[in-house]
Amino acid sequence: MLSNVTVFCFLASYVIVLACELIRWLKRSSLNRVLIIGLGCAGLVAQTAYLWNRGLQSDLPPLMASSHDWLLVLSWMAIVLYLFVSLMDKSLAVGPFLLPVVILLIVGALLVSDQPHTIMLGDPDLSVTVLRRWGMLHATLLMFGAGGVMAGCILGLMYLVQHRRLKHKQLLHDGLTLPSLASLARWNWWAGVISFPVLTLGMLIGVGMGWYKQQGSQPVSFADPVIIGYGVVWFVMLVMFFLLVRTRHPGGRQVAWWTIWAFTFLLVTVLGLQILTKGGVASLNSWHAHSRQVLPSSAFVARLS
Amino acid sequence: MNLQVLSCNHHTADLSLREKLAFSTEGDLHQAYRQLKSAFPSTEVVVLSTCNRVELYTAQIDEEMGPSRDEIAKFFSEFHDVPVDLFMNEMWQRHGVEAVRHLFQVACSLDSMVLGEPQIVNQLKEAYRVAQENAACGPLTNPLFQQAIRVSARVRSETELAEGRVSIASVAVGEFGRNIFDRFDDKLIVVIGAGEMAEETLRYLQAEGAKTIVVVNRGFERGQKLAQSFAGSAKPWEELDRWISEADVVVSTTGADQPIMTTSRMKALRKSSGRKPLLILDLGAPRDFEPAIAEIDEDVFLYDIDDLEATCERNKAARSGEVTKALKIIDEETNRFMHDVSHRATGPVIKQLREQWHRMQTEEVERVLQKLSHLEQKDKDYIAKSYEQMVNKMLHPPLEALREEAKSGTPHGLLDALRRLFGIGDR
Repeated sequence: MLSNVTVFCFLASYVIVLACELIRWLKRSSLNRVLIIGLGCAGLVAQTAYLWNRGLQSDLPPLMASSHDWLLVLSWMAIVLYLFVSLMDKSLAVGPFLLPVVILLIVGALLVSDQPHTIMLGDPDLSVTVLRRWGMLHATLLMFGAGGVMAGCILGLMYLVQHRRLKHKQLLHDGLTLPSLASLARWNWWAGVISFPVLTLGMLIGVGMGWYKQQGSQPVSFADPVIIGYGVVWFVMLVMFFLLVRTRHPGGRQVAWWTIWAFTFLLVTVLGLQILTKGGVASLNSWHAHSRQVLPSSAFVARLS
Repeated sequence: MNLQVLSCNHHTADLSLREKLAFSTEGDLHQAYRQLKSAFPSTEVVVLSTCNRVELYTAQIDEEMGPSRDEIAKFFSEFHDVPVDLFMNEMWQRHGVEAVRHLFQVACSLDSMVLGEPQIVNQLKEAYRVAQENAACGPLTNPLFQQAIRVSARVRSETELAEGRVSIASVAVGEFGRNIFDRFDDKLIVVIGAGEMAEETLRYLQAEGAKTIVVVNRGFERGQKLAQSFAGSAKPWEELDRWISEADVVVSTTGADQPIMTTSRMKALRKSSGRKPLLILDLGAPRDFEPAIAEIDEDVFLYDIDDLEATCERNKAARSGEVTKALKIIDEETNRFMHDVSHRATGPVIKQLREQWHRMQTEEVERVLQKLSHLEQKDKDYIAKSYEQMVNKMLHPPLEALREEAKSGTPHGLLDALRRLFGIGDR
């Protein structure tokens, strides 16, 4: 039964939830709220079942299995947060900001490879269990870091809408609220400041794993396009981090724009690299993004098969 | 039941008259209850006195008893030392179901000057508490006021009558201020002018937690008086620029003919204050701050009286749309209350009638069965059941008539007739 759940099931649910959220801005209705919560929960159940099924099929946790699964886990976390906030505060208009990002992540997941990574393959003497644990930590930290940047982006968008509304003396529709500018600016700043060290730690673990693999019989190169791309993303995050920390009283709008651009750059780079390394017209050759379909030679992959 | 309300409110009387008739302190109310109890010892009384209304609810089980309009007017006149002629035409009266409906409408703030305002239900609770303290309530006013409070809660939860703010000051603080700042206890509030609007806005700001308040007024003494009432400090007019540059929130309510703050002067002040958000509530008419000040930088939020009034009007319109829904609930609850009251009045008569007839039935069955002792048990049971059915069938028409009549109030005539016809005594 789990195998019948497809990406379309939860993607369709979230698209309808987004439509209901947009209707909420025009007309308040209790039926709408029931639909939002009901379909949101249905989508979450379907997405959980899908990820669970993927984990069973690949014998790997979703975070480590493939970029496809990694993006879906990130969107899953965002949906859990969305449903929690919606249940706690029915008037908070978070859906129109968060759901498009979720849908974007899921659509992005459809474009990238869904085959398990061969990142941990190579030296037969290598302890697969230890490598898996480090790989898990690497992927988790990167996901939380990216999640933090994503949260910053969503908060930034909310800040800009709230700021524009207050500057132009416009009112939100009855029964809808946004957090205050002060709260949004503070949360946005913290999202940016916390996510960078988490991303850095995740990157460092990745570098350590790469170095460890270099010592083995199948050394890997750091001059890999995906690794270079991620390095550039990290550098952009570093710049954002220093801008946030060094500017003692940055204007809220300024911080909002920084975080929006940072997340956009992160998403475009990650998705772009993953799409390009999946194959096609302008494919890049990367050991980091290789899947078992591309490199089916190792013992580890053979075991997974 | 004789329930009535005499009211002098904002629909009928102007403020000067309402002030004369108001019971402004709790001491006044206690004194009023003492006098009312002495004048009308068997009447339940509740006095509701707010700035918008002075209402006296009286209730008595006996339909014929209870104070008349003139007697109550005489009490008001003597208590406040105001001639009866001055307010008699402005004081209206409602009886029975209309009095109940009026109280429910008052509790739900349908009769308030500001539709949906939340204070009235607290004022009503307070009035009921004081009446209870003075042992002025009874079997009619207790359920009446308790139900009024419940109806108010029901209307608030089932309609959007209380949604959105509808006064200039509450919109300024609640709809705009709270969307800019998440707290006010660490903010410097600078008030320019010392009028009523400044006072009202300060009340809302203080309710939101504002602690540091500075009043800058041309007349220092008046500013000092306002500042003292909000535990703030007054500053001389010459220090206006300094305080504006330090402020987080500026409330301006002067009566100046020209703007007191020009764009160029404000630009200079913003340079010294840095880029912190500044909320300016320009409640002066004409405006105290030039509109272009809003464009100086992205962290200046300027709202004038027109901006705030537009929001008030929108919220008022939204509330008006809920009135029909609220009235429907009030009608439903009024009917329920009247039905309960009638049920309480008819209940004892119905109970006694049933008891009397069933006692007769039991005696008659016993007498018959003694004579027919040769019968088998199942035949005896059959006879007992037949007697019971006959009594129930005979009781049905008078009780049904009583229930039907009770739907439109206590059926005193029918109750008296039943008492006399069936020899039921008062309990």
